[in-house]
Amino acid sequence: MSDSGLHYTHYRAGGRDEWMMRIGSGPALLFLPPLFEEMNRTRALLASVMRRLAAEGFRSFLPDLPGTGESERALEEVSWRDWLDSAASAGESAGAVASVSLRGGALLDGAAPARWRFAPANGASLARDLARAGLMTEGGGGYAPSQALLDGLAEAEPEAGGTVRTVRLSTDRAEADLKLEGPPLWRRAEPQNSTELADAMASDITQWARSCGLC
Amino acid sequence: MTAALNDEQEVDATLRAVLRDVLGLPEAQVAALDESSPLFGALPEFDSMAVAGLLTELEERLGILIEDHEVDADMLESFGSLLTFARSKTLQ
Repeated sequence: MSDSGLHYTHYRAGGRDEWMMRIGSGPALLFLPPLFEEMNRTRALLASVMRRLAAEGFRSFLPDLPGTGESERALEEVSWRDWLDSAASAGESAGAVASVSLRGGALLDGAAPARWRFAPANGASLARDLARAGLMTEGGGGYAPSQALLDGLAEAEPEAGGTVRTVRLSTDRAEADLKLEGPPLWRRAEPQNSTELADAMASDITQWARSCGLC
Repeated sequence: MTAALNDEQEVDATLRAVLRDVLGLPEAQVAALDESSPLFGALPEFDSMAVAGLLTELEERLGILIEDHEVDADMLESFGSLLTFARSKTLQ
């Protein structure tokens, strides 16, 4: 039986220590969460997937990007480049053989040797979402990203090429290698989880990682 | 982006699915919505953050682009007004 305990560890980014959550032992996977508000809404889902992968013999890492979670940096001071660099640095610290990303996390997975993506979103669509939420909520919700970060986000696209597997919800009309039934939890104002979706994601990640010889 | 939908029933079904998924409403409540059912301001789940999510999901699932100036309280007022808007964007 593998170690399924939860641990916190550091990685270096921009000359500072940032936090990563770690679950399990075995070949390492770097989780790249969705961005901004969507990150909070899907944390329970990601933790569930990480636990299931621990039971399959994987070690999963979930970094707090600079300016989010337990990071001591202020989001207003963080640029898009900082996020790209910190994702690469977290992957290196983790010794990740592959990345697992959700939504906007796919925009940051370029440095990973192999990339599994769930519902990848392009930066322009996420930037529009942020602008809309800001228009309709005074103060723009809980996040105040810098213009430099927003500019970088708006131009970002998931990197093509290499070993990539794209999985989407069945309600999404965009192309994918596999479609899964489930709710778009990143849209829900109240964070929720889905056991079925976590099961299906973990099962596909496991099969994919084994079939492409990552472990 | 995939081709726009071209069937009125499909737009209706897509709009209901988006309301269910984004607002987390029960299937039965969504199925019972008719053209006069009030939305924005009437459902506690339908707050301003949810509006942003709703618009983006509609864009992705219907293959349309919604401009900010097209979004106002009238368009979000009822299921019927939102459906009329979605059809006008989709069935061109």
